[in-house]
Amino acid sequence: MSAEAVHSTSALTEQLSRLPGVRTATELFAGYPPHPVDRPLQPLFRRGGLPRGEATQLTGAHAFALALAACAAATREQQWCAVLGLGEPAVAGIADFGIELDRFVSLRTPPQDWLRVTSILVEAFDILIVRPGFALSPGERNRLLAKVRERRMSLIVLGELPGSGEQLAVRSTRWSGTRRGVGRLEQCTVQVHSPRTGTHSLLLPAASGGAAPVPASNGSASSASGGLAPAAASGGVAPVPVASGRLAPVPATSDEVERMIRSVD
Amino acid sequence: MSTETAHRTVVLAVPDWPAVAAGIARGFGPGVPVGILRAGRILSCNATARTSGVETGLNKRAAQLRCPQLEVIPWDPDVDHRVFAAGISVLEELVARFTLLSPGVVGIPASSLQRAYADEESAVEALLTGLTDATGWEFFPGIADTAFAALLASRTATRVPPGATAEFLAPLPASSLTVADARTYGELVPLLGRLGLTTLGRFAELAPADVHARFGTVGERAHRLARGLEDRIPVDHVRAREHRVAAALEPPSGRGDVLSFHARRLAGELLGSVRAAGLVCTQVSITLTSTTGELSRRTWRILDMDESAVADRLRWQAEGWLASAGPQQVPGTGEPPAGSRAGVDAEDPGANGSGFDPTEIGAEDGISAIQLEAAELLSPLGTQQSLFDQHPGRIAHTLERIQGLFGPDTVLVPGLQGGREPAETNLWTPWQQQPQPDRDPEAPWPGALPAPRPTLVEHTPVDLLDERGATVVARPSGLDNTPAVLRVPGGGSFAIVEHSASWPVEAGWWDPSIAQYRVRLQVVTAEGLAYLLSKESGRWHITGRYA
Repeated sequence: MSAEAVHSTSALTEQLSRLPGVRTATELFAGYPPHPVDRPLQPLFRRGGLPRGEATQLTGAHAFALALAACAAATREQQWCAVLGLGEPAVAGIADFGIELDRFVSLRTPPQDWLRVTSILVEAFDILIVRPGFALSPGERNRLLAKVRERRMSLIVLGELPGSGEQLAVRSTRWSGTRRGVGRLEQCTVQVHSPRTGTHSLLLPAASGGAAPVPASNGSASSASGGLAPAAASGGVAPVPVASGRLAPVPATSDEVERMIRSVD
Repeated sequence: MSTETAHRTVVLAVPDWPAVAAGIARGFGPGVPVGILRAGRILSCNATARTSGVETGLNKRAAQLRCPQLEVIPWDPDVDHRVFAAGISVLEELVARFTLLSPGVVGIPASSLQRAYADEESAVEALLTGLTDATGWEFFPGIADTAFAALLASRTATRVPPGATAEFLAPLPASSLTVADARTYGELVPLLGRLGLTTLGRFAELAPADVHARFGTVGERAHRLARGLEDRIPVDHVRAREHRVAAALEPPSGRGDVLSFHARRLAGELLGSVRAAGLVCTQVSITLTSTTGELSRRTWRILDMDESAVADRLRWQAEGWLASAGPQQVPGTGEPPAGSRAGVDAEDPGANGSGFDPTEIGAEDGISAIQLEAAELLSPLGTQQSLFDQHPGRIAHTLERIQGLFGPDTVLVPGLQGGREPAETNLWTPWQQQPQPDRDPEAPWPGALPAPRPTLVEHTPVDLLDERGATVVARPSGLDNTPAVLRVPGGGSFAIVEHSASWPVEAGWWDPSIAQYRVRLQVVTAEGLAYLLSKESGRWHITGRYA
């Protein structure tokens, strides 16, 4: 039995040493420090920031806005961000999310070439927001994820990508301010669910155009009153976890290590 | 000093102007102590307060402890400007030319006093008498060779003799630079302090080239100030001649390899002549002339310019021009697209993902002449990149590779310009080309969309129907019926659960060619998606998507 254990350990070590881009045990254990995100979004991510070296999957109605909000803080720290396959983004809207426009590039390449363009961009960019033009085969997916891990960049995929680390889904969006043909759109309360950190509510976009936490007193009352929500508090208050799962940043668990190994094979 | 024009300046300054202005605005007598509070600190206090021990930089409580009867007034720059502008008008009768440097400080070029007064002392005396009689404020004069030095001289009511400005400035602390421009030099001053350059004189001793190499343009300007010069950097070089090369293609060709060949030769000539002049070219304008006499002109910014980079740009430009708009399809010529172009039109960027194929450009409507022109020339030091940029070369290289594969217009960098619609404010410029905004973003744009703004721009014609399936009619007063269904042709129908008020946007009514009248509406569908709709000339469009 002990011989078997030794054998499996050495096999595991061998497998781990074949992981591209992972050089030390600490890197395997803790990963790379994440890209910073704005305060209202921090609780969404397990380690409080946009994970590097892995893909982040964003699904749901408001995924692009969530992706923009997630990369805003990093662009302000001089990280480069590219957007691929989204048509023509509105510059004023992007700027409202707090994105540094000098560090932002939009690509309008044909959708059927998205994988090729992505694999070129992964080499140089720190953050990449991609809407896939077609679904990937498992082999292509693994090669892409391995490249992402090796370059230690953040790949944000708007759509399904099995094997991605963080998987955020926008569950519900609730616009307020229109009041049945009287007002105008003022802010949107979204519920974002992550298998890792649970469900959170935040304002995306808030009245200022960026992301903001839901004001603490404003719970579910605003939905009943139909858009008489007060203006969003300008930061400081952490978003309200509705059905919080794990909140504290925990190191990679064994199932994640296992998943990394599987993705190599 | 002899080579440059001296801008000898007389500065007349009222000390503690914010406190004086606030006292005047509130009708206090000169005996009332006044302190101006900004961000919790005393920004300025008048002479009466100062005799009681109040200093700038104290917090409110400490100031009131020293002087209990102190009038603490929050800082209001409007009051500063208003009171000063009212009092200073008397100066218009005394001198021909003067500048309001800031509220409480006025600068007068000494040259404008030369003809009316015998010497500087009598001029200043006459000015001070006139001003003090009219306003009752106490002005401190300062005269020096630059406005910056004169400003510092006015603090001690000093006349610096001509040519002695550098000596006057030398013992002053380096933090005096913030007097010239607190925002520009605010970061530089502590840096100088940490380097042990505590006085302007020590800073001025450094070699100008070293200062430029270490601190860039800001440092160079500060250094000029410290040496008693104007902070405008003299233009490095004068473009004595245009750097321009041109060649005719005989026979005309649209083939990429032929164009590349010629471009490479021309670029070699151009860069050779630029190098011979001791300069570096960072932008090149490429002008292509088609056989039909039309022009395509683009300016490209290339970081490391060499022959092949220019040849690539020229090939992309020719490719994009011939394939998309084409010299034949310019509106106004009335010429329909020729049948021979069908193959080219089908060459949607999607169809050839695999780079450039010379056979895809029609050979018969090629390019008959090319011209290269150096659009921006710099001294070699001016092109240095910031040390703190993270891998800019890698980004540029990657993006150029994609431009080479899919065409220059596939890689776009954002910019903002003026406009009312999201599509109008967008300014997407191909990577490494000069953005050319059509509309001024600083101008007021009444009717511009307030935040939150859409994140995606499109222009899709849609049907907006009410419950009975009739198109929703928009009038300036509002909608006639309640929108219930948003039908996108070819994209399905969406039930509308919420809609905003509709509001009309009218622009350019004074000029029929630019006049726009549209009605805006925001709708939210049952899926929770929000759209910005706009009705123009009877048709609803999706103009923005809150995705």
